[in-house]
Amino acid sequence: MEIVMSVLAGLLFMTGVYNLLQKQLLRIVIGTALVSHGAHLTILTMGKLKEGAAPVLTDGVENYTDPLPQALILTSIVISFGVTSLLLVLAYRASKINHTDNMEKLRGNDYE
Amino acid sequence: MILPVLLPFIIAIFIPFLSKWKEKFHTGIVATIVPLIIFIYFASFFAGGFSSVTKSYSWIPSLDMNLVFHLDGLSLLFVLLISGIGTLVGLYSIYYLHTTEKLGHFYVYFLIFMGSMLGVVLSDNVYALYSFWEFTSLSSFLLIGFWNHKHASRYGALKSMLITVFGGLSLLGALVFMHSITGTTSIQQMLGDSEAILNSEFFPLILTLLLLGAFTKSAQFPFHIWLPDAMEAPTPVSAYLHSATMVKAGLYLVARFSPMLSSSEWFFIIVSSFGILTLCWGSYMAVRQTDLKGILAFSTISQLGMIMAMLGFGTKVAVFAAMFHILNHATFKGSLFMVAGIVDHETGTRDIRKLGGLMNYLPMTATLAMFGVFSMAGFPLPFLNGFYSKEMFFLSSLDLSGQGEFASIVASLVPYLAVFGSIFTFVYSMYFFFGTFRGRANLGKLPKKPHEAPVGMLISPAILVLLVVIIGLFPSFINEPFISHAASAVYGGDVSKDIYFWHGFNLPLIMSLTVVAFGTILALTIPRWSTVYNYVPGILSMNKAYDYTVDKSVTFSTKLTRGYMNGSLALYMKLILGAIIIVSFSFFFLTDGFAIDTSQLAPVTTIEIIVAITMAIAALGTIFTNNRIAAILILGVVGYGLAMLFIIYRAPDLALTQLIIETVTVALFLLVFYHLPSLNSRDESRPDQISNWIISIGFGLLVTTVAISSHSSKLFDSISSYFVENSYKLGGGDNIVNVILVDMRGLDTIFEIAVLGIAAMAIYSLIKIKNKKEE
Amino acid sequence: MSNLAVLPIILPFLAGILVAFFHKNLIASRIFSIIATMLHLALTIFVFLNVQESGSYVLEVGGWEAPFGIVIVADPLSSLLTMTTAVVAAAAVIYAPKSLSRIQEEFYFYSFFFLLIAGVNGAFLTGDLFNLFVFFEVLLMASYGLIVLGNGKAQLRESLKYILINLFSSMLFVTTISFLYSVVGTVNMAQAAERVGEVEQQGVLTVIGILLFFVFATKAAVFPLYYWLPSSYTVPNAVVSALFGALLTKVGVYSILRTFTLIFNYEVGLTHTLFIYLAMFTMIFGVIGALSTNNVKLIIAYNVIPAVGFMLMGIGIFTETSIAGSIYYLVHDMIIKAVLFLLIGAVTYAAGTSDLKKMGGLIHHYPVLGWMFFLSTLVLAGIPPFSGFIGKLLLLQGGLNQEEILIVIVALISSLGILFSMIRIFIGGFWGAADIMELPKQKPSLGAMTWPIGILLSLSILLGVGAEMFYPAVSSIADYVMNPELYIESVLKE
Repeated sequence: MEIVMSVLAGLLFMTGVYNLLQKQLLRIVIGTALVSHGAHLTILTMGKLKEGAAPVLTDGVENYTDPLPQALILTSIVISFGVTSLLLVLAYRASKINHTDNMEKLRGNDYE
Repeated sequence: MILPVLLPFIIAIFIPFLSKWKEKFHTGIVATIVPLIIFIYFASFFAGGFSSVTKSYSWIPSLDMNLVFHLDGLSLLFVLLISGIGTLVGLYSIYYLHTTEKLGHFYVYFLIFMGSMLGVVLSDNVYALYSFWEFTSLSSFLLIGFWNHKHASRYGALKSMLITVFGGLSLLGALVFMHSITGTTSIQQMLGDSEAILNSEFFPLILTLLLLGAFTKSAQFPFHIWLPDAMEAPTPVSAYLHSATMVKAGLYLVARFSPMLSSSEWFFIIVSSFGILTLCWGSYMAVRQTDLKGILAFSTISQLGMIMAMLGFGTKVAVFAAMFHILNHATFKGSLFMVAGIVDHETGTRDIRKLGGLMNYLPMTATLAMFGVFSMAGFPLPFLNGFYSKEMFFLSSLDLSGQGEFASIVASLVPYLAVFGSIFTFVYSMYFFFGTFRGRANLGKLPKKPHEAPVGMLISPAILVLLVVIIGLFPSFINEPFISHAASAVYGGDVSKDIYFWHGFNLPLIMSLTVVAFGTILALTIPRWSTVYNYVPGILSMNKAYDYTVDKSVTFSTKLTRGYMNGSLALYMKLILGAIIIVSFSFFFLTDGFAIDTSQLAPVTTIEIIVAITMAIAALGTIFTNNRIAAILILGVVGYGLAMLFIIYRAPDLALTQLIIETVTVALFLLVFYHLPSLNSRDESRPDQISNWIISIGFGLLVTTVAISSHSSKLFDSISSYFVENSYKLGGGDNIVNVILVDMRGLDTIFEIAVLGIAAMAIYSLIKIKNKKEE
Repeated sequence: MSNLAVLPIILPFLAGILVAFFHKNLIASRIFSIIATMLHLALTIFVFLNVQESGSYVLEVGGWEAPFGIVIVADPLSSLLTMTTAVVAAAAVIYAPKSLSRIQEEFYFYSFFFLLIAGVNGAFLTGDLFNLFVFFEVLLMASYGLIVLGNGKAQLRESLKYILINLFSSMLFVTTISFLYSVVGTVNMAQAAERVGEVEQQGVLTVIGILLFFVFATKAAVFPLYYWLPSSYTVPNAVVSALFGALLTKVGVYSILRTFTLIFNYEVGLTHTLFIYLAMFTMIFGVIGALSTNNVKLIIAYNVIPAVGFMLMGIGIFTETSIAGSIYYLVHDMIIKAVLFLLIGAVTYAAGTSDLKKMGGLIHHYPVLGWMFFLSTLVLAGIPPFSGFIGKLLLLQGGLNQEEILIVIVALISSLGILFSMIRIFIGGFWGAADIMELPKQKPSLGAMTWPIGILLSLSILLGVGAEMFYPAVSSIADYVMNPELYIESVLKE
């Protein structure tokens, strides 16, 4: 199953990157979201999948799945959320001021 | 010995304050007294016989960078030149520079130069030497740019800096190399260990770097081009830095290292040929100049070439003559620069086409010039020092025996080129003198009515001319105590030589007479043959090469940089990702990093596969949909899919968080993009589309391969078992993930919240601060 | 005592939060900020001296023993860098009021500023890879706040690119951490180092190392990953540019230095050779960039890049001398980059333009500014005896001892290029007749802008001329860095 998940993570990265390389801001932001999903899935996969119960101590259960990746993902999800929100607002502001949502038109020059 | 070297720097600090009273008290007076004190101090070393002295002062001992001053014959010659000429130039400058000029600036640079130059010739520590070396370049830069409101000054300053600092960096390379080979930073110890350097496989590189340093500083062809443009500096500077002292730093360097280098055949070949070439080129080009200082600049280039050539010859006579000529050149060229300054000062122009017949108006100046010019031309008269060294130059050029094929070719050509160069030296000397002082005066063309210079201005050139004559009349007066010490230090063995005027009717004398004969003929017929300058240098001009290089380096940089730094995020991402993909995959192959281990995998179940496939389709769907609402919702499907996977893989907290965050994010997306234009279909060009696919597939593949390999090579037990064991015992909680988050890795969580807080502030200010254009 | 280690993070963190509560009261904010940065400076100096005296402080946060909890390690290297950060921060905070508009100051400049410092210090001090990621995010988020501060058109545009590239590299960072975790089962740097050493960095570990390198190299602006840097360092206010130029890329360099001396040092022939080549191209392209424009701010921004090349060169050569060179250069560059960005801020403020073609003769109106610029040019170009020279000399020595001739030659030529790009500003902007530019009748006074620059500049001159006071410490730090077992022992206490 880990291999399937690795492939899926790779696919999420792939689609994320493809979207990142686009011109329209919306696609680019969607790309970043896909990349973070890919990253979180990878972290989860890197622990051992399904090796025991959910990491909540229960009487009589000896084996638990690796709790550390889960903790890391949680932190990472929250941080990505913060960045994504900022990015969304910024994208909105930038495209309003520059009158375009096309990144290729947001180039600028040496003298500003 | 540290005090005399640091004295100019210390005084320089006070100059800005002194210059406040420049109306009453010309700042130049200080700049005259300082070198005089230094001169007297060093001259006192003669008392009771001279032997070399070394004094060390620690500076950065842990880097082996100390102020070690080694005073031997060679250093002494230079030290006395620097302080002696410095005194005279200081005196001269008092009359040359009016108090309305920025005297404070001028004398600060002047003193910094003086101190640095003393440091160059006294330092035994290579890094101290290099430090002082760069400071001479910098002070020269500032002095050339003294009148920086003129474009020519700025141009000349930049040119001299680029070329001499380029040389300085080469020199640094050579010095670090030698330090790394010998393990010492002392020049004397390096010379003692010269075998190690000579036998190093990098010796050719070291030699090249060292000579680049020397050649650029001493204006050897083809690096001479900065010197004529340096003439934009006030004339005292030209007399001091750009003829008597700084430009001789390169000669000093070659001389200093020649006990080590002269045994190399390539040293002989390179130094002699560049020297001779510079001699010929400089003297040839001097005749073409119309600016008095231009003539003198090319003359300096040519004379430097001659001395450099003699250092390359490396024979006893040659080395002796080189040292002798360093002194002689400083005397006559110094006086001639001052003369040029006087002419400029009194007539308002230095253009030789406007000048002429000044003998009647400036008789004193003309007399001084006459001595200087004829000494420079090497005219065979017993009271001109220039003749002696020129004669020795010829003598040394005749007894060269090059070992090796290439060296012997050079050796056989040298005498002819020596004569050729000297003929033109004769020509430009005459051209300078007769063009300025003889012929018909044309006062109408002159900006000012000419009259003799004030006495004060004449003192310095007069003293120099006096030296020309004294050395000419009594050559052994300075020979024994002075030149022979210097020559011995360079040659690495005892060199003493008696100097006579009359050697008998030998080959060198015939050469001298040839020079005078042909020189006279050519000097009289300049207008007839000057068309030759249309052909040579013509396109050979090194100036054009310099301008081209500097110009091109800027336009090329602009073109190249604008080419890829075009502000396109997609291009940047592609370049970054391309690099990551290529390098990472290369390392995969180089280290044989791929691994796959299927023995410990979790079983594949239908439900997971269904979720995975749904997510895959949805992810791909974001690329192909052209409807923004659809795109955002499809993205939501991926997010919820991930939450499903979290549930399947027993991560309930994650699933919960993911669900909430995904919902909020989708809402935010919809909110923001409601206000933006709707999605267009992807209008990529075909090549763009292909490269986008290659890069994204490449990156996806990279992640998958590394993920599989990492998962397949679990080499160690995870630290997690600790968390499981101690979650309740030490953390007091059943939910291990929560205990990790709030306790074991609590710091992460605090700062994760901080990130959210900062994001909130940033968003708030993004929304609140109104852009002017919006209102 | 080991609690001291975390204070350089906590102090600015708390200051950043506190100052947000009275962000509209500028007088109070300024005074508070100056006091806090001075305290911070004193604290970091105290920590540095103590670490020099009695060895590293290792704080196991929350009492959770290493390698299970997070450790904060104030070792000689990190305490040196936090101290340098504090120096830069102190200068910036004095400079800020004159340089920023009222609205920028009011909208949380000081909060962002302190949190940036907290993030930077955290990145220097943490001994845990995932925690490093978190601190990266803190400093990045603060930098996002700073770069858009004021909402200028160009700012919004460039910050988009800046955020997107950094967001991507952050995601790659966590992914890579998870790869490493999978192989060695830990995120503690000391333990990772120990475990990587035990298996001699076999298999996929080198690739993981390279991925980490790329993550840090993106932050450090190494070739070919620096594209985001020039514009995003040009658009914000000068004081923000100074903080970025002095601190952000250096965090990346530090991370490379740390991970590739501590953890991934078993395939030096491959990884570190790669660094040498990348360092070479970083210098070349940086210098080419610096020569490509007449926008003075952009010239300075491009000059950040070759400096990174110099530091990477030392890491690539990987001897004690070269590492000492990199560390010396790192400290030097943090200070001189702050000086240059602050200076150029004052220059554009005085001239009213950043186009070199429109400038001239400024030295007649602002002599102090002109001479400070000239001096800092010399410092930057590595003219002896200033601070740039000491680092450069060590790097050259390190290179030649290892017979890495090519990079040494490139480094020498780059120095000339750097000097050329800078002296163009001096000649074009400061020299020339006094009346070339039409300055406003009431010439803007620079006031409080000049002296923080002056202090930093004096410090960087002292760092060169008085190298004897600093070099022995740097040399012992290099020795420490080249012996990673010291770090591992101090954290894992074996």
